[in-house]
Amino acid sequence: MTDATESQRDGVWAHQYQLASGQTQRHQLGQVRVWVTLLDMEWQVRHEALPADADPLTWHEVVDHCLPSSDRQLQRFIRSSNDQNLVRYLPAMAPLPTVIRPYQPLTIPADGQCVLYVGTTLWMQICAGPKGDVLTELPLAALSKTWLGANTMAGELCYASATYGRLALEAVPKRPWRAVTPVTIVNRREKPLVLERFNLPTPLLSLHRNAEGQLWTPGVSVECETDLSSASLRVEPSVIPAAGRCELVAPAREKMARGGRLVRAFDHIFG
Amino acid sequence: MFEGLNASLTGVLGGIAWGPWLAAGFLLLLGILLGSLAARTAGRLVESRISRHHQVMMRRLVFYLVFLIFAMAALREAGFSLQVVLGAAGILTVALGFASQTSASNIISGLFLVMEKPFEIGDVIEADATIGEVVAIDLLSVKLRTPDNLYVRIPNETLIKTRVINRSRFPIRRIDLVIGIAYAEDVERVKELLLSLAEANAVCLEEPKPFVLVTGFGASSVDLQFSFWVVKEEFLEGRGTMMIAVKKALDEAGIEIPFPHTSVYAGSHSAPFRIQLVDSEHPQDKD
Repeated sequence: MTDATESQRDGVWAHQYQLASGQTQRHQLGQVRVWVTLLDMEWQVRHEALPADADPLTWHEVVDHCLPSSDRQLQRFIRSSNDQNLVRYLPAMAPLPTVIRPYQPLTIPADGQCVLYVGTTLWMQICAGPKGDVLTELPLAALSKTWLGANTMAGELCYASATYGRLALEAVPKRPWRAVTPVTIVNRREKPLVLERFNLPTPLLSLHRNAEGQLWTPGVSVECETDLSSASLRVEPSVIPAAGRCELVAPAREKMARGGRLVRAFDHIFG
Repeated sequence: MFEGLNASLTGVLGGIAWGPWLAAGFLLLLGILLGSLAARTAGRLVESRISRHHQVMMRRLVFYLVFLIFAMAALREAGFSLQVVLGAAGILTVALGFASQTSASNIISGLFLVMEKPFEIGDVIEADATIGEVVAIDLLSVKLRTPDNLYVRIPNETLIKTRVINRSRFPIRRIDLVIGIAYAEDVERVKELLLSLAEANAVCLEEPKPFVLVTGFGASSVDLQFSFWVVKEEFLEGRGTMMIAVKKALDEAGIEIPFPHTSVYAGSHSAPFRIQLVDSEHPQDKD
């Protein structure tokens, strides 16, 4: 547990913070600013979006008695009797699948494979009490939605990733408000595969933290079958060795079907 | 006289065997009770797995099935032979067919509507110049709740005959805005400006891509069509916020949205009109 101080420090995921009644914890993380206030009877959460082009490297967190001006969006929650003034912030992956793209369309030759590393925006879940009851959650960057499918009748609504998938792990910008996912695409077909976009099933991914505090998800591998109309998708059981020793911070939003393998229409994965 | 009437009435009432009739009535009541119970249970069992529309249909089917079995038992109890009833039903149908053409037509249209399934409960449809959310699909009619909270009943026959637009069948919808700009403006620049607005607006989908078309040269403006896609639930918000954003952006960029202009032109050979400003208190002669 941390004592409340008035100095600025770096925020930590899944850490128990203890506030005194009347105190406000202010966070600046990703493209949002969040104020969490503890009062005698209630929790108050305010948030404000920052300009979409901002790309902050760190998570600033301050505890003080200052409240923001009244024009911020306010949510109020009745306190439970045994919350012990505790609050915790848990990361969560996007509730909808996310469409990722390479910087330019990428051709994977027949019987070839490639690994793309992608950073996806996280959601912040604000949890109160020792049990961690979720008060609310908010995305840490403004995300636009997109449609992925063969036509406008059949398809899936997804989030559009704000960053490109990279071939080199070092090129992926590491931020406390993004999680890194390695995506392996194997082309078993007899002709090259032009990769323009890829549907990453973010709700199926759990979040893990390494010693440096970076968040990683298990790898996802997609195998394009020789049959042209389908591809099989698999979520690996653990994170890649390059991430280092990791601990589970947040489970996946949705459970994967038994066997951990998902066969889907080609259009639903590659658009 | 009264005594005579009373005696004959007692004779008639006493002559009816009440036992079977009461049993038949009891069976009918039991049928209604058990039917609704079974329907509710069936509905609850499948609640999480199927849509609201199918749930309502299933509940109704279970109810009618149970009720029909009890009604048949009741008829038998009352002393009717089922064959006779079915035979009489044939003759009755012809008679009823003539007497209640509209109702029969609505019932048959209702069956076709259920089979064809152009819409489900909860969909927003436009039919017979009415827009509303479907709240019930019944034997004779479909009930809609309009956006201004009116309850509208549309006969099934009308729905079979007229054009019905289902506004919520597909998850995404396109919004087409018609924007007129002055002839003096650079169309390419306006096009870029509009596309950047679509990119900045969180409600607009990235794909299918938004686009701008020049649709015509109007009387006083170059007409553009600005099209972008939104999730069906965000249609009104998307339209409203984008209209405001377009007006604001065009104003900021100094691009004129013209109103109709009329130029009076007397031909190339005629002399210009002579215009003279006059003082309102001392009017002078004017051409």
